[in-house]
Amino acid sequence: MDHPDKPWTAFYRAGARTEISEPAYRNLADMIRSVAETHGRNPAFTCCLPNGMNGTLSFAQVDEMSDALAVYLREIAGLRAGDRVAVQMPNCLSFPVAAFGVLKAGCVLVNVNPLYTAEEMARQFADARPHALIIVDMFADKVPAATAGHPIPNVIVTRVAEFLPAMPRGIVGLVQKYWDRTVKPIEIAHIRLPDALAAGRAHAQEARIEVDAYHQGVAPDDVAVLQYTGGTTGVSKGAMLSHANLLVNMEQVMELLVGDLQKGREVALTALPMYHIFAFNVNLLGFWWLGARNVLIPNPKPLTNLKRAFENYKITWMSGVNTLFNGLTNEVWFTDSPPRHLKFSSAGGMALQSSVAETWERITGSPVIQGYGLTETAPVLTFEPLGKARPGSIGVPVPGTEIACLDDAGNPVAQGEAGEIAARGPQVMLGYWQKPEETAKVMRGDWFLTGDIGVIDADGYVRIVDRKKDMVVVSGFNVYPNEVEEVLAAHPGVLEVAVIGVPDMGTGEAVKAYVVKSDPGLTAEDLRAYAKEHLTGYKVPKRVEFRDELPKSNVGKILRKDLRAEAMAQIAAE
Amino acid sequence: MVGAFEQALLALMIFVIMLGMGASLTPRDFWLALKRPYGLLIGVVSQYGIMPFLGFLLITILPLPQAIAVGVLIMACMPGGTTSNIFTYFSKGNLALSVLMTVTSTVTGVILIPIILVIYATALELEIPRENIIITLVLLLVPVAIGMVLRKLNANVGAVTEFMGSALALFFIAFIAISWVPRNWQFLMTTTPATYVAAIGLGLFGIMIGYGFARVLKLHPRNARTVALETGIQNGPLAIAIIAFTFAGDEAQSYMAVPALYSLFIVIVSTLVTLVFRRANTAAEQKLPEGML
Repeated sequence: MDHPDKPWTAFYRAGARTEISEPAYRNLADMIRSVAETHGRNPAFTCCLPNGMNGTLSFAQVDEMSDALAVYLREIAGLRAGDRVAVQMPNCLSFPVAAFGVLKAGCVLVNVNPLYTAEEMARQFADARPHALIIVDMFADKVPAATAGHPIPNVIVTRVAEFLPAMPRGIVGLVQKYWDRTVKPIEIAHIRLPDALAAGRAHAQEARIEVDAYHQGVAPDDVAVLQYTGGTTGVSKGAMLSHANLLVNMEQVMELLVGDLQKGREVALTALPMYHIFAFNVNLLGFWWLGARNVLIPNPKPLTNLKRAFENYKITWMSGVNTLFNGLTNEVWFTDSPPRHLKFSSAGGMALQSSVAETWERITGSPVIQGYGLTETAPVLTFEPLGKARPGSIGVPVPGTEIACLDDAGNPVAQGEAGEIAARGPQVMLGYWQKPEETAKVMRGDWFLTGDIGVIDADGYVRIVDRKKDMVVVSGFNVYPNEVEEVLAAHPGVLEVAVIGVPDMGTGEAVKAYVVKSDPGLTAEDLRAYAKEHLTGYKVPKRVEFRDELPKSNVGKILRKDLRAEAMAQIAAE
Repeated sequence: MVGAFEQALLALMIFVIMLGMGASLTPRDFWLALKRPYGLLIGVVSQYGIMPFLGFLLITILPLPQAIAVGVLIMACMPGGTTSNIFTYFSKGNLALSVLMTVTSTVTGVILIPIILVIYATALELEIPRENIIITLVLLLVPVAIGMVLRKLNANVGAVTEFMGSALALFFIAFIAISWVPRNWQFLMTTTPATYVAAIGLGLFGIMIGYGFARVLKLHPRNARTVALETGIQNGPLAIAIIAFTFAGDEAQSYMAVPALYSLFIVIVSTLVTLVFRRANTAAEQKLPEGML
């Protein structure tokens, strides 16, 4: 299965390394510290709210604050190295402080989607068993229900406007409390993040703590992050990403870009949530490493929330998903005065439609290039070389990464033929957290099976032609049919249900449910409303179709592929 | 009817709102507007074409005494009201366009208002104070400039100024309306129905005609809502200020009747219109799918 040579490396920018296998730092905490020492008082993160109110933390401030949090976690909360800490918040200044603090403490970071329902949180907490939770106040009302089975001993609460100057912070607080009513009373014992930092600081001074000692023993192959991805059986799986996985993958991407981007000179826009692996690695870690000023958008919906950020900052680089680029090109204020300093944009999470890429380039005068990868690969496997995009392709493997297409027996297919895309490289995860049997299903030797069916051109460009798993990708988020089916099946009016993904103009793919009802009065709206109570928004079926029966195999298994074929034929007919 | 204290409050209110308005603007907004002046042109036409003519019609049709007629005419010729921006904001209109229309109508008003007033006043045989209007309009633009400088210096100060401008304006409007009505109950009871029709109709019909006009010209619904509010909502406090500046005693009070009534009822009319517009906007918003955003 070895490639004799790597012809795609010819498409890398001149001077780029073709092999990266070892990280330049021992662990993420070392990288964080070293970058902070280089860029010191330069602005590192700016949180920009829809009305233009903003707050900024410098590299040195984030470094100092995350030190204080690390001390709090280890000395006051009593956590030990390797303990899990869940972080659940939208993009805000607390995010880097929390994430970096956890890593510096030698603990394992568990990213949690803040929009999860209490049930979804409970499932993830039950699996990861975090010892501490750092959560934004807007969603803290879900914690009692989410931790009923597995109490989390330490809860730290922050807010979106944390670390903004007092005036805007106060205004945002009042608006959230009395106007939007997005902040509800918190009914669990907790400490506020600034208080935790103050306690950590005081303790560090008193006891003369050396924070670096917490992570000196953390090796490159130790787990840094548990990144959850929906389970095929409705059970969440935590991909164990090591320090080396994340550090190397960040470098693999930056290696291809850094010639066009200058360390310490860039202003990056982060509109995608950093709890998602794509923004976590490229935006949080990558922009930090680059010494860029990272403009964080807590909530990009509606898209006018981005207007002030584009007006007030000279954005030179942004990353997004197809949905974001497409949406922006449909906003009058954006097309009226597109960002003038943008060098290029990077897309991930879902397929970038070529029409969207073309419109974007026409409007902004700068290209958007896409990458491909999975949670399990930290995440980037392939990237379009700048200026050398090939229509319909997801680009070429990043340095130090091998891609092969395998047949069902696990052997490489002939060049130019379709097979399951498998990847080998330093970014492939250690495995799924406490689920060796699940890990075994996706690993063949040191090759990771992506579940996507692809074709590789002779010079290394990869194209995706189909997907092997039943998974649906809705605007960058994985949805597993089993999980949705389980929820819908629990509705008293539902007899049988099958869920598939169908092509969708807006989200790439959309969730569609085929339902046999037992209650004749059941409507699609009832079912969607019911699903919304139990599932986060992107998992809720966009379409519901009622049937008298569902196609089944002779052993009674519902045949999703038949429904998919039907749906495709339907769409083709339209 | 409109005492010295109220006049001072109104002046302060205008200052605060204009300051907040400036804080929401960048030079780029002006540059863009000049590059594509279609929307602004529509605004100027509706402001100084439609509204004064509407006022003229109301004066001609309704049985109004001379002093009330002067009030209607001055009111109809005023530039866009600063409160239109607040209602545009809450009705999810195009805030930048609204602010620019207000500023543009104030700037062009320096020349246009005296000309239009003279034309209609001659036709209606009414007397109007020209110089005072020009001076007041120029003074109005000072806080806008200060607001723009504030935002340029510090985005946070700008955002806070903008927010406080809207919040304080709402507070002022509510305070003035609530405190004014009981103290002027007698006046409200003795005012003739025709005066009410003129004071309410100017705003209500202005908004309706403005919307229809913008839609006929194929403006995006969001911009049409903005133009509608901008057309119907006049700068009532400015009219009161100009009258107070020019006339004295009972004469001033009777001239002020329509601007005072207009200012009171436009808040109610605009609130209702805003509720309708909000619903229309929610129905037409760009549907962003659930997912990564």
